[in-house]
Amino acid sequence: MSNTEIILNVDDNEPGRYATTRILSRAGFQVIEAGTGSEALRLARSASPQLVILDVNLPDMNGIEVCRQLKTDPHTASIMVLQVSATNVALLDRVSSLQAGADSFLIEPVEPEELEAVARALLRLHRTEAQLRRSLAERELLLREVNHRVKNSLQLVLSMLSLQGNEFREAGAREIFAKAIARVTAIASIHERLYQDNDPLSIDMHTYLNGLCAELARAGIGEERHADLRTEIEPLRLPTENGVSLALIVNELVMNALKHGRPVDRPAIVHVKLRRLDSGQGQLIIADNGPGLTASASREAIVASSGLGSRLINMLVRQLNGQLRIEDADGYAVHITFPLQPAPTWGPKS
Amino acid sequence: MGTEVLIVEDQVLIAIHLQDLVEEAGYRVAAIAHDAAGALAEVAQQRPAFAIMDIRLANGGSGVEVARQLYLEYGVRCLFISANINDEVRARVAELQPLGFIGKPFLAAEVIGAVQAAALATAR
Repeated sequence: MSNTEIILNVDDNEPGRYATTRILSRAGFQVIEAGTGSEALRLARSASPQLVILDVNLPDMNGIEVCRQLKTDPHTASIMVLQVSATNVALLDRVSSLQAGADSFLIEPVEPEELEAVARALLRLHRTEAQLRRSLAERELLLREVNHRVKNSLQLVLSMLSLQGNEFREAGAREIFAKAIARVTAIASIHERLYQDNDPLSIDMHTYLNGLCAELARAGIGEERHADLRTEIEPLRLPTENGVSLALIVNELVMNALKHGRPVDRPAIVHVKLRRLDSGQGQLIIADNGPGLTASASREAIVASSGLGSRLINMLVRQLNGQLRIEDADGYAVHITFPLQPAPTWGPKS
Repeated sequence: MGTEVLIVEDQVLIAIHLQDLVEEAGYRVAAIAHDAAGALAEVAQQRPAFAIMDIRLANGGSGVEVARQLYLEYGVRCLFISANINDEVRARVAELQPLGFIGKPFLAAEVIGAVQAAALATAR
């Protein structure tokens, strides 16, 4: 291993530089030399050494500054730096060297055995760090691949359902199938947005719900398609699991409105609103301009019936710790208020 | 003659779904190709108005490279579809005048909207 490892020896004092190179060469390392700070920076980039032994006193620039530049340049930041200084200024140099990013510090004169042992220790550390970086990169690649597979498989499920749905001729069966597709779509489509902004723990409801509503308007439920669906969604970020629950609620209520909320005397309009209330709670409103509760007995179904749709709504509202209220003054509106939990933030940088 | 679209997608099921959506949008599918060689053969024959391009193709093919050839050799632009649309992909195809990007799993409405916009942008 040591035959591929390169040490850059930086010292403007020729006898001192020669001595260091001799010790390290005898220990079996490949050593390259620089007499100035700028030469050291150039070689660190071009020859990619694993370790730099850096004298503090250099003619063109301070060795501590050389170290700082090495450690802030992403191309050279992983190189180990062993700073060396003379006794009389050692304490001050030692502190500022380590603050500038040096990995270790020795005071001249240095015993050959100690120099060799410290060099070996730092190279060992360098190998471990390199290995960690490699496996982290592999993990990232693996995660991206799995993510790609998940999204591709969800797409296959949706495509399969859609193609199958076209097979039905009978209206009732078509509707049941359309509902199933819409429910799966609401769950699956969160994955398209989840990993794009590097924060898989929360979801932006604005793009998520607007996308879903556009799809619901296109697909329609029952006989009519391309419904007039109007959205006012604030750009709220919700924790991902709450986001899915809310999307499923929107899905059920909009499908209900499209089926039961059609006025006879004017074009149907369905409003979907999501906003943050002054109280800090979130509020979802799905409203239509249809006949309302009194005119249509089937509207009671939303709360009372045992259909899957109403079961889902009740369950999901409970899951959000929310409250459901129905208003039917003008048309029919479902108001759901729920506590807004602060979205957890994902910090891949830390 | 109506707008014709080439679909380049290695998953047959998804390709057929896309075909349904292109037709729902009001256009005709010129051909479906599953890999780079198929796409180049079809575009030479059919001269579609634009292509819907999956970024990861069968036989290890890259949709980006196929898109580059379609654009440079035939002037055909692409609407890109992939489970991994990111900034890197966007940058790599920026010079090919992309017609849009759609992430998988896609919404049918989203595909129809993008196909209609692409048809308008490439109308001859």
